[in-house]
Amino acid sequence: MSSKMMFYVLKRVLLAVVTIWIVITVTFFVMHAVPGGPFVGEKAISKEAQAALEAKYGLDKPLMEQYVTYLRDIVTRFDFGPSLKQRGRQVIDIIMDGMRTSARLGIIAAFSAGIVGIVLGAVAAIRRNTFIDKVIMVFTTAFVSMPSFIMGTLLLILFSVHLGWLPANGAARGGLVLPIITLALYPMSYITRLTRSSMLDVLGQDYIRTARSKGVSKPKIIFGHALKNSLIPVITYFGPMLAFIVTGSMVVEQIFAVPGIGRQFVSSITNRDYTMIMGTTIFLASLIVIMNLVSDLLYKVVDPRIEFD
Amino acid sequence: MKKLLALVLALVMALSCAAMASADEGKTTINVCIASEPDTLDPALNSAVDGATMIAHLFTGLAAWEQDENGALVIVPACATELPAAVINEDGTATYTYTLVDGLCWSDGKALTAGDFAFAWKRAASSALGADYGYMFEIVKGYPDELAVEAIDDKTLTVTLLNDVSYWNELLAFPTYLPVREDVVSNEAWATDPATYVCNGPYTMTAWNHNSVITLTKNANYFLADTILMDEINFYLSDDANNMLANFKNGDWQLIDDVPNAEIDALKAEYPTEFFVGSQMGTYYVSWNVNAGILPEGCELTGDEAEKAQAEIRFAIGLLFDRNYIVTEIGKAGQQPASSFVALGLTDADGIAQFYEVAGPSAEYYGYWNTSEDAYEGNWDQAIETLRKYYTFDEATGMFTNFPTIEYLYNTSEGHKAIGEYLQSVLAGIGIQMNMVNQEWNTFLNTRKAGDYTVARNGWLADYNDPISFLDMWTSGSGNNDSQFGKGANSEAHIYSIDLTPFGVDVKVENGTWAETYDAAIMAIKTCTDKDARYGMMHAAEDLLMSTGAITPIYYYTDIYMIDDAVSGFFCNPLGYKYFMYCTVGK
Repeated sequence: MSSKMMFYVLKRVLLAVVTIWIVITVTFFVMHAVPGGPFVGEKAISKEAQAALEAKYGLDKPLMEQYVTYLRDIVTRFDFGPSLKQRGRQVIDIIMDGMRTSARLGIIAAFSAGIVGIVLGAVAAIRRNTFIDKVIMVFTTAFVSMPSFIMGTLLLILFSVHLGWLPANGAARGGLVLPIITLALYPMSYITRLTRSSMLDVLGQDYIRTARSKGVSKPKIIFGHALKNSLIPVITYFGPMLAFIVTGSMVVEQIFAVPGIGRQFVSSITNRDYTMIMGTTIFLASLIVIMNLVSDLLYKVVDPRIEFD
Repeated sequence: MKKLLALVLALVMALSCAAMASADEGKTTINVCIASEPDTLDPALNSAVDGATMIAHLFTGLAAWEQDENGALVIVPACATELPAAVINEDGTATYTYTLVDGLCWSDGKALTAGDFAFAWKRAASSALGADYGYMFEIVKGYPDELAVEAIDDKTLTVTLLNDVSYWNELLAFPTYLPVREDVVSNEAWATDPATYVCNGPYTMTAWNHNSVITLTKNANYFLADTILMDEINFYLSDDANNMLANFKNGDWQLIDDVPNAEIDALKAEYPTEFFVGSQMGTYYVSWNVNAGILPEGCELTGDEAEKAQAEIRFAIGLLFDRNYIVTEIGKAGQQPASSFVALGLTDADGIAQFYEVAGPSAEYYGYWNTSEDAYEGNWDQAIETLRKYYTFDEATGMFTNFPTIEYLYNTSEGHKAIGEYLQSVLAGIGIQMNMVNQEWNTFLNTRKAGDYTVARNGWLADYNDPISFLDMWTSGSGNNDSQFGKGANSEAHIYSIDLTPFGVDVKVENGTWAETYDAAIMAIKTCTDKDARYGMMHAAEDLLMSTGAITPIYYYTDIYMIDDAVSGFFCNPLGYKYFMYCTVGK
């Protein structure tokens, strides 16, 4: 690694820390400004019990003090505190529990989407305007425009209810097949289209023509020159997409009863489970920041002409 | 392309075959789904029906729910040898003494003692624990922190109540009253991990894959283990009605506790023997804030007269809504039109008649107005007549012209929205503009509790079969008093009257405050030991409550569930807890 790159990475890591600190601060104060609280329910608890709970979780202290304590605990002990709603469980455990499923689901979905998408995109570009190109384009357009709750429901009705081939709940054996397909279809289609247009662009470049005129074989032109250079937009997309997909999809988890992290994001907010809101937000923010950094670094690998500044 | 398709299909089939070839031979298992991940399975902290269902399989209290040979749900002694009557002390308090059954033990093999019960009750009631249902012990002397419960020896437990209450035995089967052991619960995370979850019921928790499935396995240490028929129960955790239905339809799950609203009609037709509508002691209603003015601008009425007029107006508006239309066209889940606040399912003094059937002023219909379809027009006319006393009515258009614009507060949900829109359209038909204000659940609860609204969607489910669980929530100091009775300006209003002298209680107030009338009545009910007088007073209290017009009941809740034909031995108690221990699954 060159010193220039080291400096760049260092700069980006510092920037990431600042970004996450801003996210923590904004979330913390906005969250407390929203009406309601973690111990509010349809049936009210007594004032004494409410006070006892607030004291137990330190919610009776001034907001600024809570904020400082929270930051200190994270920085010094990596302690995200206990969940206020799921009593007896630690935020970090709940996140890790959900992440195990979501990450497995997301990584398989993201990489299958990437591989299939790049292959289909390349095929479509090389066989431009042929029947196969048109078929690929029709399907990918459909999959890109179809929201996942419709796609998921369709797959569920077809494969689970009518054909009975696959279970409808994520907990059963083979239960993750349908959610993975549902999750993968959108990015796969998007990557197909990205690869196709970018590849068409590259194939029209002078150096490709030069290579061709020199008599370089077609596979070598495609795999050795064109494909690599047409992947830059795909890589830009892939990093954040991976972050989003591994942190769980609320919709897909709901449809297939998958025990992932996505549902926790939403329920923590409705429950005003303050520590869970903070934990999940920090987690998601960090992951996206890291993935963005990784994809920026990957540019360099793909295209050595790119300079960091 | 064809080859690829064939390959994919083959893969899918291989996977599904693998999925089918599970389940150990000889062991009986039932797969059910009643809700998503429970917040807690600590009996003292739980306040949800789904949590209570699981806890009812994991713990056994002094008493338990059972189905008798006639199919009726009854309370029977469980850990106690019998459920004796109370000894009434000189000061009116009531002492119960229980003897524990021989050979009781915890799932880890240690002996269960009376001291465990005493510990568990004191813990559950304490303000330090801050349990949602801590107040279930408020009838016990010394609540919350000096609870009068004592273990005389390892097998004898005594408890003293402020006065004898008729639903005490039912409370003994309630989750908050179940035993826990001190050394177990000293670990705050005990109830989240099967390894530390020590219980005393028919089952033990053998797996909890969070947000996915909880597996209960028959407890060999349970004192009645040989009566338990089902070996294993899998509680799948999902709250998505479409997903539940898909799993029920493909045969993976044998019971689901929710179905998509839009599918109800189709499912009733398609699964006539597997679709059930059970009752659930609850009322869906609209609450009015008694401190929010609704009189027309320039109205001359002030003070108590204005308060009385508004009560009349609110009651009249309640008569405008066609509850039959709401339940058949909007709710569609077999709900019953409501004409009283205390719900269907709560019985009267004799334990047989329904409380709501006896309620209200008329012998011709149940409750406070006639909900039959024929009576709707009459109700409407009566309401219009009342409203005309206070508002300008334009004969030509049939509209009131000076009713102030009001707001209807509801929490985000398609169902609540649909009902709100119906109410809105009815009022719009007579010139009353009601705007819909939608808030997210937690914000909504906060706004409603604070009384920062005029009209709001509301609902209440009873915790035990006694009307007091519907009535004591409206006392001035109650945290559930969303209508703000006896709070703010209303605390000064001298417009309420009650007469409890026919029941032998020295309370007769005319034009008193809410505290002098309603609060006094609830206090009298809570300390009354004569059953008939007590129920009489509860009717009087409900009469007063309904006369305020601030409670507009819409329908009584129902509980929809689907259960596979192959399952027998299933039952559900009046609180909606579902029992699977005596189930068998035929082929």
